[in-house]
Amino acid sequence: MIFGGITILFDACKKSDEHAISSGYHPTYLTFKIPAGWPTPPIDIFKNNPLTEEGFQLGKKLFYDGRLSKDGNFPCASCHQQFAAFSTYDHQFSHGFNNSFTFRNAPPLFNLAWMKEMHWDGGINHIEVQPLAPITDITEMAENIENLLKKLSIDTAYHRMFAAAFGDTTINSQRMLKALSQFMGSIQSFNSKYDQVKRGEASFTVAEQNGYTTFKAKCNSCHTEPLFTDNSFRNNGLSIDPFLKDIGRMRITGKSSDSLVFKVPSLRNIQYTGPYMHDGRIFSLLQVVSYYQTGIDITQTTLDPLLKNRLSFTNQEKVDLIEFLLTLTDDVLLHDNRLSQSK
Amino acid sequence: MSGLFLSNCNKTTTPKTGTIKISFRNLVGTQPILLDSSIFSNKFGEKYSITQLKYYISNICLINDKGKVTEKESYHLINQSLPASLSFTFTVEENSFSSIQFLIGVDSLRNVSGAQSGALDPLNDMFWTWNSGYVMAKMEGVSPQSNQVGRKIAYHIGGFTGVNSVLKTVQLDFPIGKKLLVEQGKINEINLEADLNLWWQHTNNIKITELPVCTTPGEMAKKIAENYSAMFSIKEIVNN
Repeated sequence: MIFGGITILFDACKKSDEHAISSGYHPTYLTFKIPAGWPTPPIDIFKNNPLTEEGFQLGKKLFYDGRLSKDGNFPCASCHQQFAAFSTYDHQFSHGFNNSFTFRNAPPLFNLAWMKEMHWDGGINHIEVQPLAPITDITEMAENIENLLKKLSIDTAYHRMFAAAFGDTTINSQRMLKALSQFMGSIQSFNSKYDQVKRGEASFTVAEQNGYTTFKAKCNSCHTEPLFTDNSFRNNGLSIDPFLKDIGRMRITGKSSDSLVFKVPSLRNIQYTGPYMHDGRIFSLLQVVSYYQTGIDITQTTLDPLLKNRLSFTNQEKVDLIEFLLTLTDDVLLHDNRLSQSK
Repeated sequence: MSGLFLSNCNKTTTPKTGTIKISFRNLVGTQPILLDSSIFSNKFGEKYSITQLKYYISNICLINDKGKVTEKESYHLINQSLPASLSFTFTVEENSFSSIQFLIGVDSLRNVSGAQSGALDPLNDMFWTWNSGYVMAKMEGVSPQSNQVGRKIAYHIGGFTGVNSVLKTVQLDFPIGKKLLVEQGKINEINLEADLNLWWQHTNNIKITELPVCTTPGEMAKKIAENYSAMFSIKEIVNN
């Protein structure tokens, strides 16, 4: 793979002495690359979890392994599908154990290193503990960690891969979670047409350029370049679903100012990450833009001040804005064999 | 075993060390706790049995008039169903101490530090998966006063940030005139007791009829933590 304009920021190579647990332990350390001009991640997610080829491969195997779920049918990859930028393609909610549906729409997975918190309500404070939530959720993978580790321990392939990644054949929750984090944290998206244009490798069409202008005027405050999110929590005026009763971030912080407040999602790969919003209630990009024009409930007390007058677009602006949003599709991410299930 | 050492830059010889053993005994008043079978009555006349009792003790320091020494990697999960978890030992440089300090729970930094192991392993079922953070103390049981399915009661006390923090530091002075000695070749003991009557009543009244379940951070969790922060006492110091 060839990427333009990379700034190398994290160099894990110096850590090799500390981590030679036994004389047979020789992992291949990898460097996490931050694209040129991008902000520094808020924390170094690999600080206590040095990124290695062996850790990445182990994490990937776990990600695609149905045994992490109770009945074997729901690996992480069943809801986080590479061709949908690791979201669930075309599903408002995702399928889980025992004919369940998930409570919220599955977010895509990329550029996770830039997230201080994860999940729509920000309930996860560190990437390493994130997998505990879907693995143990009865509407998702419905497994328990003890049982899962037993399943892994009887598989000699995992013995080999844990030893290669961590120095010996001990299989415990910490190592499993760190391996998953190495895989998930390595998924990056910075090779869309938009990125190529920014690097001077391609040009927008007239419609895309006009759409970009509208985007910068009306959307950039929250969906801030280059991540296309500022990873903050805001209320964009969605009425509460009377059946789901999802109060958003208030469930985590207990603060009434966080009622109906949700994480600003990235717009990268938006072509493939629909349906949209925390509960997938909006099905097309055109409907999303129309929502911002007329659908926002401006009576909500926690509504983000930037949306108090809704947004206005001409019809041409709407169409061109969507053309621009389609340039955020990153075909490199969607087809990168390195992230696909190993044969 | 983990170690406690005072810093002393000029020492060229290895300091002599001894072993300290800390033991916890959980009681309701003077009644021992037999999980699933003992029947207790709280100060409000509500009857209950306990099926699970677990709490974290961390950041243990021993204190004398010169300062404190802190246990390294000081994280212990006291689990009533695992007798071996009720006591532990560590190595300390020879000295004498007049009090002990510890945190009930896991300090806030560890709550945001990713996947942990040992006493802090999420396998111990003391970590919230949906709202990352440790359950500092957990009591589960059964009570006729509970309106929950199976008459269950469940208190998972957690929260480590800002106004929601239930973290409690406890300092207990040893009996007057009695110091804990640390001596080479000896295992000397601090025997602690926890009186679970205080879970229900201390500065706050916690009634099963009103609150059979508390499993999120917030006001009620803080009230329970305020109560249980007073439940520990020194039963005795044993210098063998």
